[in-house]
Amino acid sequence: MGSATAAAGTERRSGPGERSGPQQRLGPVGLRWNPRGYTALSGELLALAERCDAAFVLLGGGADTGERPRAEEYPALLAAEDLAPVGYLASFPHLATFAVSLAPDEDNLRRFAASVRQAPAGEVPPAAQAPVGEVLTPAACYHVYAGHRGEELAAPLTVTTRNTCFRREAHYAPLRRQWSFRMRELVRLGTREEVRHFLAVTRAALDRFLAELDLPAGWEAATDPFFDPAAHPQYLAQKLRPTKFEACYEGLAVASANLHEDHFGRAYGITRDGAPTTSGCVAFGVERWLYALTDRWGADPAGWPDVLAAAERSRPR
Amino acid sequence: MSSELDELRSWVASKARDLPAEGLTDDLPLLEGRHLTSLHIPQLVLLLERLRKAPVDVEELNAGDFRDIATIGAKFLGTGPDLGHRRA
Repeated sequence: MGSATAAAGTERRSGPGERSGPQQRLGPVGLRWNPRGYTALSGELLALAERCDAAFVLLGGGADTGERPRAEEYPALLAAEDLAPVGYLASFPHLATFAVSLAPDEDNLRRFAASVRQAPAGEVPPAAQAPVGEVLTPAACYHVYAGHRGEELAAPLTVTTRNTCFRREAHYAPLRRQWSFRMRELVRLGTREEVRHFLAVTRAALDRFLAELDLPAGWEAATDPFFDPAAHPQYLAQKLRPTKFEACYEGLAVASANLHEDHFGRAYGITRDGAPTTSGCVAFGVERWLYALTDRWGADPAGWPDVLAAAERSRPR
Repeated sequence: MSSELDELRSWVASKARDLPAEGLTDDLPLLEGRHLTSLHIPQLVLLLERLRKAPVDVEELNAGDFRDIATIGAKFLGTGPDLGHRRA
């Protein structure tokens, strides 16, 4: 489906004999890992992340017809009401992270300020909360559907957007599985044929890109990580007719291509040719590409391939 | 021809949308063609469980199992292909 969305997350856990972890290998080039599930990037590694992100945009189908993806930028906050049309929170409650704030009455704030002074450093004492109305972005493309709600498209629409995304997981590993991570997405809304063409062209470009970088990766059918999956019609539909495919490098999904059919078009009232639009997206987990590239090419920036040049050679013509 | 297969055909005919001009055939791709959607799948599982008088383990479902009526019949109802219902 669409909840389908983005890079879900196949990942093989590391074994005891694995090479030294990313933190040891990549600390000197700009990785700082917080075992609570997030990284800080700087220096050469940050520069590589930015180049990867720019490279992904070049791979989008649509370039073959002269169409340039429309860049859209959204906040990390996403209104829960904007996710309601697709029932995200019912389908993926275990992944969600919420934006929480304190109830704003002065007594509550005073009590909290007093108790936080007494608490051990870093501990947030319990306090009354304001009603929760926002989710921290679970996948970058949700904003696009909500942002184009109610539109009638006269032509296919291709959008590129990047966001900091958040998913709660049972365990985290630097660059490979994080609570907070960067996701670049290429999204197309249009007729079924327009979207299928976009996915095919983008996947082919991504295959060329992976070959240029000498990253051995294959496509695998996948399902979204639904809560209580057997009870979920869309999980069953994905098993019976796969619409989500992940490009996996050594068991780690570095990108996913998703055909949502008219799931989002219907939910958000977006039409094309008088019918609910079809949508599809290709999602890239930026940190996972850092993992794959440095695993393949080493921690020394001098050995890293020129990802932008590789993307230029791989882009759809 | 099995009555279970007929009941399956009737059920699909009552739910399918945007059928081609030649109507419903046993080899019409139901999910790929979007004639049935994800929302129909649990109902179809329940129908199959009633017709075959045995549960369907949804964890064991594989890509293509619900491709078309002929496939569903062969996989879940023990029916062979019935070419009379296929497109010429």
